[in-house]
Amino acid sequence: MTRELRVVGTSVPRDDAIGKVTGAARYTHDLVLPGMLHAALVTSPHAAARIVRVDTTEATRLPGVRAILAGADLDVRLGLYMQDKRILARDVVRYQGEPVVAVAADTLDLARDACRRIHVEYESTPAVFDPRDAMKSGAPLVHPDLGSYAHLDGVFFPRSRTNIAHHQKIRKGDFEAALTSAEVTLEARFDNPPVQHVPLETHAAIAQALPGDRVEMWTSSQSPYTVRHLMSVAFGLPHGAIRVHVPYVGGGFGGKAGLNLEPLVYVLSKAAGGRPVRFIATREQEFNTLPSRQGLYSTIEIGATRAGKIAALRATYVWDAGAYADYGVNVGRAAAYSGGGPYAIPNCWIDSFVVYTNKVFGTAYRGFGHLEVLWGVERAMDQMARKLGLDPAEFRRRNLLKPGDATITGETFTPGHGKPAECLDAVAKAIDWGTPSQQPTAPTKRRGKGIAMLHKAPAMPTSTSCSAIIKLDEDGAADILVSGVDYGQGTYTVLRQIAAEELRLPIDAVHINSDCDTAFTPYDWQTVASRFSYMGGHAVIHAAADCLRQIRAVAAQVFGVAVDKIVCENASAYPAGEPERAIPYKNLALGYTYPNGNAIGGPVIGHGRFIAHDLTHLDPDTGQGRPAQFWTYGAHGVEIEVDTETGEIEILRIATAIDAGKVLNAGLARGQVIGGVVQGIGSALWEGYRFDKNGRLLNPSFVDYKIPTAKDLPREMLPILLENPQPDGPYGARGIAEHPMISVPSAIGNALYDALGIEFTSLPLSPEHVVARLAEKGSKP
Amino acid sequence: MLGRFEYVRPRSVDEACRLLADQGAGAEVLAGGTDLLVDVRNGVRSPSVLVDVKRMSELQSLDVKPTHGEVALGAAVPLNVIAENRDLRRTYPGLCAAALSIATYQLRNRATVAGNLCHASPAADMAPILLVLGASLIVRSTKGSRAVPVAKLFAGVKRTSLAPGELVVDVRIPPLDGELSTAFRKQQRIRGHDLAVVNAAAAYAPYRGVLRVAIGSCAPTPILLDPIDTTGVSRSALADEVARRAAAVTAPIDDVRASSAYRRAVLPVLLCALLADVMDERGGR
Amino acid sequence: MHDIELRVNGHVERASVPAGMTLLEFLRDRLALTGTKEGCGIGECGACTVLLDGKPVTACLVLAVEADGLDVHTIEGEATDGELSALQRAFVDAGAVQCGFCTPGMIMSARGLLLRNPHPSDEEIVEAIAGNLCRCTGYEAILAAVRVASRPSAAMLTGEVAKDGGRLRPPGSARKGSGR
Repeated sequence: MTRELRVVGTSVPRDDAIGKVTGAARYTHDLVLPGMLHAALVTSPHAAARIVRVDTTEATRLPGVRAILAGADLDVRLGLYMQDKRILARDVVRYQGEPVVAVAADTLDLARDACRRIHVEYESTPAVFDPRDAMKSGAPLVHPDLGSYAHLDGVFFPRSRTNIAHHQKIRKGDFEAALTSAEVTLEARFDNPPVQHVPLETHAAIAQALPGDRVEMWTSSQSPYTVRHLMSVAFGLPHGAIRVHVPYVGGGFGGKAGLNLEPLVYVLSKAAGGRPVRFIATREQEFNTLPSRQGLYSTIEIGATRAGKIAALRATYVWDAGAYADYGVNVGRAAAYSGGGPYAIPNCWIDSFVVYTNKVFGTAYRGFGHLEVLWGVERAMDQMARKLGLDPAEFRRRNLLKPGDATITGETFTPGHGKPAECLDAVAKAIDWGTPSQQPTAPTKRRGKGIAMLHKAPAMPTSTSCSAIIKLDEDGAADILVSGVDYGQGTYTVLRQIAAEELRLPIDAVHINSDCDTAFTPYDWQTVASRFSYMGGHAVIHAAADCLRQIRAVAAQVFGVAVDKIVCENASAYPAGEPERAIPYKNLALGYTYPNGNAIGGPVIGHGRFIAHDLTHLDPDTGQGRPAQFWTYGAHGVEIEVDTETGEIEILRIATAIDAGKVLNAGLARGQVIGGVVQGIGSALWEGYRFDKNGRLLNPSFVDYKIPTAKDLPREMLPILLENPQPDGPYGARGIAEHPMISVPSAIGNALYDALGIEFTSLPLSPEHVVARLAEKGSKP
Repeated sequence: MLGRFEYVRPRSVDEACRLLADQGAGAEVLAGGTDLLVDVRNGVRSPSVLVDVKRMSELQSLDVKPTHGEVALGAAVPLNVIAENRDLRRTYPGLCAAALSIATYQLRNRATVAGNLCHASPAADMAPILLVLGASLIVRSTKGSRAVPVAKLFAGVKRTSLAPGELVVDVRIPPLDGELSTAFRKQQRIRGHDLAVVNAAAAYAPYRGVLRVAIGSCAPTPILLDPIDTTGVSRSALADEVARRAAAVTAPIDDVRASSAYRRAVLPVLLCALLADVMDERGGR
Repeated sequence: MHDIELRVNGHVERASVPAGMTLLEFLRDRLALTGTKEGCGIGECGACTVLLDGKPVTACLVLAVEADGLDVHTIEGEATDGELSALQRAFVDAGAVQCGFCTPGMIMSARGLLLRNPHPSDEEIVEAIAGNLCRCTGYEAILAAVRVASRPSAAMLTGEVAKDGGRLRPPGSARKGSGR
């Protein structure tokens, strides 16, 4: 698009902010339906056990208790990619915190009271907590019946009689030969713990089972249509019988991407005679029962020439999926095809194993495995640079993908992919890379600088699609209907800008649904993967064009000119060169009425859609194929000061460059970058689940699971958004939502080496961790 | 609902003491509630009646005599009021630093010094400074009134030596007999609100050459070291001595917050910084 | 059950409540003032911050009976006759609102700050909202919003825009409070 943009690219403030700053915005937590019941859970105290007996006699007698369900009552299987889950634990429990019995009662207190009076007898069974142990033969099997589970054939490969839910392979070139002949080689191991999304609004859902086998739901979800689809699969109901509303959502970060509480509240409602049932997770349940981000153990080998060119890379990724892996298998798949970093790697061998353990299960999380994988890759890159005697930035420059290079899945890198090298240069410049840090503020402190690259493409099915409807109001304003969810990222505002731009309307005359409703807002796959602005943007452009077609057709008839002579500008239509004759949209929105009363045309309703195209499945043996609709590249440069006595790390400055293609709204983009960087700092420095030797989660609350507060910010955060256009992106834009978080830990880990000369391989880089490594090294400043 | 309990709001200390005596073990004193109500929500404590002491004037006083340093901190005075009191800041900066280190601004509008002490966590942030200041709790019951030195308050993890039915009325800091420099330090996992991994306070009386140090989060209770004579001792020797004595009387454990190794590594660092706080700058931190 | 009487956003409310009911439950369930949110139930996240006699507190750890006779100010009382306060306007303009779940609590903490300290330093702003967790914004825009709202000249200007019925600026006009 070479025309001058009026609205797209400006920092229009979000209009949903008004509801949020006044408290008027309603989230699932706030919704009350007539006759609504409240649900509570009994969860498992054991990581692995047989359920011997569930005694609900005392609870059943309580007045106001309307339904009690246990796994034995529900022969329903959940899961799309891997159907390994039940609504409530059935026969066995697989993680401490797993829901075992659910109660619906008139009040929450009654429901909780009832839960306290339910007695479950368990028989502990052997459990496994480390995925590396879980891969060994003889390990307790988390899913002995894995071989019989339905799964997406040809895409996911579970190994029967093991704990391996999926094995993804990348085989490009001849790794062994390349490694043997490489002049310099390196092997390193890395790990990161499970962490939690910590949305401020915990998971919540309301369901009402309606007569005629229909159901209506309100849920704090990122994906109304996925909820609908998975409910349809699970319960054998036609899609049209399931209606899903998504009101305001208080954060998701991937944790609300799939199916979570919805089946539970549905079956409770059914059992309670069709009364609506609401379940709101407590914060402890959010940590301990709802899903997390998978942990990861990585082994990375790199072979390079002395001149600094990577010849070969091998990675083994062992994902700690926890007890269920429906979403986890997809993370393992996607991270594999990105698993070498944004580099030209002629010979690449990756094995990505998604492994069951007896812990709370993982799901999508911002970055979809890329932060975890690039923790290892970007740290290994620095190590290799040092081994080669090369500056880490220079080593990367020599290997970053350039036009004509092939990715590890055999995709050809083009100029339209963006400029990772420019991102690298931008952050290097921003932190004065190459110039030593200034003196630290105390003799016991050390300063260091580090850089790291990031990349990600949307991890989505090859046929992912999205649609939008635009209808004009009587006043000529436009209403956009979409089922992507704006849970904070601001995409609704971007879509309004796009519609305003395309329809030639002022931004104030473009509205968008604040809620999604599968009865009315048209299909969108899921709001994940940083693809909503890209795909939704296209759908809105398409829908706007459809509206203009309808407007032009009527205007052409009114003016008696050819359709291609009609100009749409300033919310009106007129023959080219004759703006003074313009008919405002409001006189065309419901068709046009001639002065004599005759009416033509009709209500203007445009529809648009976008489907991912030219993507292919990955070859099951080699991982070759085209999985990516687009790639977004970026880099972080960070300067830290570490206190060698307390281990505390202060981030002096962090520069983040992302090649956005086109910045659709600078204010919102900045919000995503800053928010993502701070969330990344949480993963880097403080966050991580801790378990005792019996697999019990030790930090299921804010008391001991610490996320960054306003006091924990870097001194300076420098977002840099580059605009090398994505040729097929709306206005040249790419998605950027997940990217700011990816590789933040890597950059900090690299800076720590610069400061202390210690290779950190585990996250988080907590003060205790730093002090422990310093003590090992035996050094005092 | 947080739980099932009765609620009473006595109008005088006498009435409160009678209620506590009548109700016995089922009664809990409700001041700020920031520890108690969390425990009730989590099922850790199940009182049958909460005795709200916030509207009794006897517990609301904040009496600072700047010239002598004698202080009475009413048991129901919120931490923010204490932290922001100008006289206290000038006279006992370590006390205000300790108060400010606790929780969040919102919680400090409710939490109290007495509550922090009586909850008796080994990590109680108000304990170390009140130990080095030789403070006492004035407690009342139907049997009368007595003073409990803070040094005799802690009986174990989350256990005090107070008898059932005893109500803390205020916390008294004895008058100064000369210049005193105080400071408090707390090692946390993040800079935002957090419980102490290790905390410690120091009070230095230069005219007498005496240093008092107390340490929290390194033993089942906060620990007051014996007073240390500083006359003629070099700073580095003093730091070593303090660290040595601290190591001798503390036994930090591994818990979800920190490892014993980390606590042992960080304690001397904290103590060294405290020494600098009280001996280098008059007024401390 | 206890009979209580308290002022909520300037209105006198009389109710009969069980001792165990929190102020948060009272506001949300009895008065249908759902703007105040529950994020953790143990006072750690600040999402339930309201002003009690002008002071920010976490309503999840205040019993409704404890608020008897006191003044409560919630997010619903922040705007006047449908007009956003300068503080609310500053949040909107500075991009300080993403998912919005922490926003009411943030604004209450900021309101409490400005009531006791109309011209806070940057450090004082951080201290005032440090007890309010946000996972979306990274706090930068929130700090900028409070900064803007605390400057008298800026407040006048944002007040003028708020008089405009809270409508959005036309594209291309200068943004205030956009941070660094």
